[in-house]
Order: sequence, then structure tokens, then C-alpha cells
Amino acid sequence: MPVRNTAERYGSVAQILHWAVVALLIVQITLGKIADELPVGLDKLVTLARHKSFGITILGLAAIRLLWRLFNRPPPLPPMPAWQRAIANVNHAALYAILFAMPLSGWLMSSAHNFPVSWFGLAQLPDLVAPDAGLAHDLEDLHESMANILLFLIGLHVLGALKHQFIDRDGLLWRMLPWRAR
Amino acid sequence: MARSLIARSFVAFVACLAAASAASDAWQGDQNAGSLQFVATQAGAKFTGGFRKFTVRFDFDPAGTAGGSLDVTVDLDSADTADAERDEILKGAEFFRSDRHPQARFHASRFRRQGEHWRADGELTLRGITQPVSVLFTVDGQPRQLGMKGTATLRRLDFGVGQGEWATTEWIGDEVEVRFDLELNPADTTP
Repeated sequence: MPVRNTAERYGSVAQILHWAVVALLIVQITLGKIADELPVGLDKLVTLARHKSFGITILGLAAIRLLWRLFNRPPPLPPMPAWQRAIANVNHAALYAILFAMPLSGWLMSSAHNFPVSWFGLAQLPDLVAPDAGLAHDLEDLHESMANILLFLIGLHVLGALKHQFIDRDGLLWRMLPWRAR
Repeated sequence: MARSLIARSFVAFVACLAAASAASDAWQGDQNAGSLQFVATQAGAKFTGGFRKFTVRFDFDPAGTAGGSLDVTVDLDSADTADAERDEILKGAEFFRSDRHPQARFHASRFRRQGEHWRADGELTLRGITQPVSVLFTVDGQPRQLGMKGTATLRRLDFGVGQGEWATTEWIGDEVEVRFDLELNPADTTP
């Protein structure tokens, strides 16, 4: 499989980045839900610390993905009606935007709560805002709302991919998978 | 005779000077005099909190010839880390246990020069436990105020701050840095 994208499919770098973010998002949504349910205590602190570390990892991967995409255009979409193409493009743009917005809102929220972010205990990130309980509360609401928007966008993305693969049978899914199309 | 008188006067004058310079000045302040903060580590990240209620009494001789003392009393219920949940935990049984030990007290009566700084080797009583703690500080004398700025590093577990699951040093650092930056006023003459 080529490293760079070709006219037919995504290259290995784009694929690895895509699926790594998928795996991290599953971890993130799980950790976020667990932390939300936990009472105030050490377990909650540890769960949120990991949630923050993975979130910052996603922020870094999102930046690398965007740069890679800018210098390495994705394969063109298979033939489809213009409205579907438009939805796919808007959804992709929204997914990229939220891949940045989620970790950034979490980072802002951590700063506002005066719970600064450390990346896996290896490096402490600077605070983006001064401690402010009111702002922290608002950012918490924003972070949660965005998580729901993210789930909706992912749902749309997955449904679209599955529709192309199994209803239109245009082999769209193979473009993001390492195996050869049959 | 005259010579002896002059000599005696001179000795008396020098004695007076020495007595005057050996006298330490008394200063005092509270939360309005500046900040008393602590920097702790949580999940690998340092955060700063402060105390909103404390008093400082400082008898100090900059010449270092007289004794002196530094007494700080901190109301532990006034701990403020800008997060209500964490503040409650800090005041609670597993950390400060402020219902039983409402105040932390620091007392030092030995000051010595250490490079650019003064060093006060004293004792801190926190959560019912007394341990030696050293404070490094600088003073900045002004006519009617004394600037006092410094740090002390202590280990929270020496005082039992963080019981049970909170005793972990993997997620909550043992070392806590205390920082203060104060402008003290002359103390009331009545001690």
C-alpha cells in the first residue's frame, strides 16, 4: 500500500491516522462517560487525567491529519448526486473542525477549573485562561454538547460509508482499508 | 579626668547605638497584606491555590544581631483552589481535617543568611503534626512597610495531608511549594 494517497484510495499514512483517531475517539467517549458517572474521588481524577492525555493526543493527530491532507489530496469521491457530495464534504469539514474543537474546549475547561493539563505526566500544557468557575461551567456544557454533535456526525459518516459500500456497491470503504478491493 | 569623661561618654554612645541596632522591628500583616499560596501537583500538572485568611507576625532585625521570630497562622478553611469540589475535599477529613485542626501554624526564631536570601528554620504544625520546615525569603525594607517574599517546600504526607486513596504520590505529588508575597506594616506596640 502506498504511503501517499492515490487516485483510487487513501495511502497508509492517511489510513493509520484515520483509524488511530477512530480508536482514540472510542476510548475518549468511554472515559468521558465513566468520569461523568464517577463520584468526586481519586478514580475520577485519574480517569479525567487519562481523558485529557488522549484528548491532547487527538488534537496533535488532527493537526497532523490536516497538514497531511493539505499536501496530499484525498482520492476523489466516487460518482454520486451533487447533494450527497455536498453533505459528505460538509460532514468531513465538520468532523475536522470538531476534532480540534473538542480537545480545545476540554483544555480551556481544564484551565478554567484550575486543573491544568498534563500529557501523560510527561509535559504540562500552559493554561489557556485564568481560573473562573462560571466559565468552567459553561465550557463543560459546551464540551458535552459538542460530544453529542460529534456522535451525530460520526453516525452520519458511518451510515454514508456503509450505504456506499453495501447499497451502492461502489467500493468506497475499500479506499480507507488496507486490503485490496475485490 | 576630662579624657576619661569623653571616653566614658563615647562608650555609652556606642552602647546606645548597639542597643538601638540590635533591637528587632516588629511587623504584622494578614490576607490584606498580600498573598499566601501553595503549588501542588495533581496528575502530573502543577496548580496554584491560596489561603484567604491568615496572619503574620514578624520580629526581625535586618542586621542579624538580635533574635526575632516569625509566626504565621493560617485558617485552613480559607483554602481556595478556584474549584469548589476540590476545596471541600481539601478541608475534609482526608486532607486538612479542618474541623479538628482549623489552623496551621508556623513558628521560627532562627534566621540566617543564605546567599541572597534569609533562611528561617522553624516548625510547622498542620493537621496536629509538627515538623521542621525551612522558609527562604527576601526582605525589602521601606520606611513604613516591609516587603517579604519567599517560599517553603514541604511534604504533605509528613503531615498526613491526603489519607487513604489520596496518599498516592503517583497521582498527587508529595511536595507542595508554599509561596508568599507580603507587604507588612509596623506591629502594634502592645505585643
